[in-house]
Amino acid sequence: MIKIEKRNDVSRSIYFLTPILAIFLTLIGGGIIFYILGFNPIEALKFFFITPISDLYGLSELLVKATPLCLIAIGLSFCFKSNNWNIGAEGQLIFGGIVGGGVALLFYNHDGFYVLPIIILSGAIGGMLFAMIPAILKTYFNTNEILVSLMLVYVAKLLLDYLVVGPWSNPEGFNFPETRQFSESARMPILFDGLRIHAGIFITLITVFLSWLILYKTYLGFQIKVSGLSLKTAKYAGFKGKTMIIIVFMISGACAGLAGVGEITGPIGQLHRNISPDYGFTAIIVAFLGRLNPVGIIFASLIVALTYLGAETAQIFLQVPKYTGQVFQGMILFFLLGSDYLLFFKIKFLGLKKNEL
Amino acid sequence: MNTKLKVSEISKIYPGCMANDKVSLEFRSGKIYALLGENGAGKSTLVKILSGVVKPDEGEVFLNDESIKLNSPLDAKKNNIGMVFQHFNLFETLSVFENLSIDSDKKDEDLRVLVNDILKKYNFQIDLDIPVLNLSAGQKQKVEIIRCLIRNPKILIMDEPTSVLTEQETDDLFISLKQFSKEGILIIYITHKLKEVLSLCDEVAVMRKGKVVSVSNTIDEKIESLANKMVGENLNTIKKKINNFKNNEEILKISNLNFKSDDPYETNLNNLTLSLKQGECLGIAGISGNGQNELFQILSGEIITEGTSIMFRNKEIGKLNPRERREYLMAFSPEDRISQAAVPELKIYENVALNNFKSSNFFEKGLVNEKKIKEHSKKILSNFSVNTDNVELKSQFLSGGNLQKLIIGRELITSPELLVCFNPTWGLDVGAINYIHETLIQINEQGKSSILISTDNDELLKLSDRICVIYKGKLSKIMNADTVTAEKLGILMGGGSID
Repeated sequence: MIKIEKRNDVSRSIYFLTPILAIFLTLIGGGIIFYILGFNPIEALKFFFITPISDLYGLSELLVKATPLCLIAIGLSFCFKSNNWNIGAEGQLIFGGIVGGGVALLFYNHDGFYVLPIIILSGAIGGMLFAMIPAILKTYFNTNEILVSLMLVYVAKLLLDYLVVGPWSNPEGFNFPETRQFSESARMPILFDGLRIHAGIFITLITVFLSWLILYKTYLGFQIKVSGLSLKTAKYAGFKGKTMIIIVFMISGACAGLAGVGEITGPIGQLHRNISPDYGFTAIIVAFLGRLNPVGIIFASLIVALTYLGAETAQIFLQVPKYTGQVFQGMILFFLLGSDYLLFFKIKFLGLKKNEL
Repeated sequence: MNTKLKVSEISKIYPGCMANDKVSLEFRSGKIYALLGENGAGKSTLVKILSGVVKPDEGEVFLNDESIKLNSPLDAKKNNIGMVFQHFNLFETLSVFENLSIDSDKKDEDLRVLVNDILKKYNFQIDLDIPVLNLSAGQKQKVEIIRCLIRNPKILIMDEPTSVLTEQETDDLFISLKQFSKEGILIIYITHKLKEVLSLCDEVAVMRKGKVVSVSNTIDEKIESLANKMVGENLNTIKKKINNFKNNEEILKISNLNFKSDDPYETNLNNLTLSLKQGECLGIAGISGNGQNELFQILSGEIITEGTSIMFRNKEIGKLNPRERREYLMAFSPEDRISQAAVPELKIYENVALNNFKSSNFFEKGLVNEKKIKEHSKKILSNFSVNTDNVELKSQFLSGGNLQKLIIGRELITSPELLVCFNPTWGLDVGAINYIHETLIQINEQGKSSILISTDNDELLKLSDRICVIYKGKLSKIMNADTVTAEKLGILMGGGSID
């Protein structure tokens, strides 16, 4: 007989163990899917999760993918912790990319140490401003931030489309939908020759540290925490709810903008239609898998980045579409939400103890 | 059609509260029965048991002498028990007809004919094809009633149906209910409004603290007698020594404050006027849901009003939020300990930091001064005898009494000039209640003032210097506590008037 009981308290270990359980279940689920598709599940999972990171290049690629995911997710954690549902990080990333890219094109053929910092800063500001749209609409017009932020993703995408096809397209580019390649001083420095890993990773790490500081050591962080747990209490304590909503969206948008500018000045080097393989959406999974905790998010971003790489190897070696990566991301979220049940309830196996029945 | 409904020895225990204690009642068709009681008396639990939402721990329900099992709302429907809840269960964006057809197994054409017949028969004027959100509260309630009537109910239960209705809508409702009753439907009417019981019902059962305390014919009752039964007569408490405050300084003045809410389930406050002198305790009685919540929020600053409408020591504070009001040495203890006054998931010291203002120095230059908060928390724990000294403990592990001591301690350790508290002893055991009461008397003795909003009359009579009653968002005349009796309070709480 199985008995389900409500837990009195969520223990910290369970809190961080459930994401691991979710990953484990995802592997089993993935194995089953591969088996149905006619592959040896163990082999297939090896192609998916081991082969991609079995050499230095693979590890570098893992970090290249984890860099934007971690950065966006850390920004999102400010929103999610305070009960603000910013679903539009993808749009903020693209808009940050557009603004940063615009500045980079402006500095085309300019040299100087100041070029890159200006581009990065303008990208962050771009993402921040774009995130303020749903925040301001929410605070002053009571709109739903989920809807507004999500819809703005498509606005940003179409704007990028228009720019790379029209006014910003490369004059020598034979009408390909892309801009010029940015000049050398507008590119993120590469850390090792022959690998794509770039200085953006330091921006991410610094942001993670600052976020930890803000969330756990400042009054703002305290307000975010209280608002996330109980809006009624936040109101009773007299926190300025509207200002806080705008601040968390600004932080979140700036992080997404930074991720966008990191991509275009890092691995991509120009603007084109697909500057992000849905990093902004996938980062939502990263944020929750990492339990909205800065350190947790670092680990989660590495795991989710691996699904991107795995999908690419699987495409090559198993001839399955690269969208299997998204299947895995979806399964992680699915199992994570499912195993969250264990946070609030414990399952007791009451064997044959007759006195308890 | 003769229907006889009998509940026998029904008991339902919630953690820390006996919601129904061996309740036995009998109802017969052709009559309208009132179930009267204060909030928390156990009426709603009994009704939920009859509608299959809640299962009783003990006891049985008999319909026409046959025992019936009500395990789900579906069982209630099968047994022809119809139920109209206080909060409507309608889809706002669907049309009236769509709302009715959702849970009906009839064909749409047949249903429309049936509904039109009902509309004609009872003279309801409702357009079936407009969305529900365009209806008034009274019309929405009619839709709920029609939903029950479609199923030819033998029993119709109405749970505080007039709380959202206007006077005219209430009159209309009563006419309909009387008509249903004539047609043989057994009607059980749940309320805490005494006047309604007298004007509508034939028999009245009064509940108090989970028990049925009286069953009688309404002809034999008066507002006063019902009020006594509802709030209880046992008044053996010692009253506080009443001081003379005539010469004391007036510290709080509210004049002609009006509050109109957009939410139909909230209560509007009309023409609120009160004043408070130094060292005085003003008690505000009333059955819950008569505007106490809104009044508390207006006092605490969660609802912001015109600056001049609230004066505290001759300063305009109407526009200030709770944190800003705390700078003026006001303190607030809300009714809801668990989800408002404190957050269970937070540690004790974090909950202490919620009462933060400039001079507390909990946060310096935007950074958390954890050491300071913890020291301050330790002081609260020992000064207010909370049974732990571990400030890192999550507050959810404190018992209700200890949590309330923590909250009152947090609010009082700053020696505020005014403490506003709302049901401070709700759900506590006797020991904790005494401790809180002593503390509240103590602050008055120290020359600090308090406003006590409470639904517990014994508590109000024990602690207040002056008392008034809030009813439907209006304050009664403010009376000196020594001239007030529980009976008088009961009458005013039920909407009656005295002298």
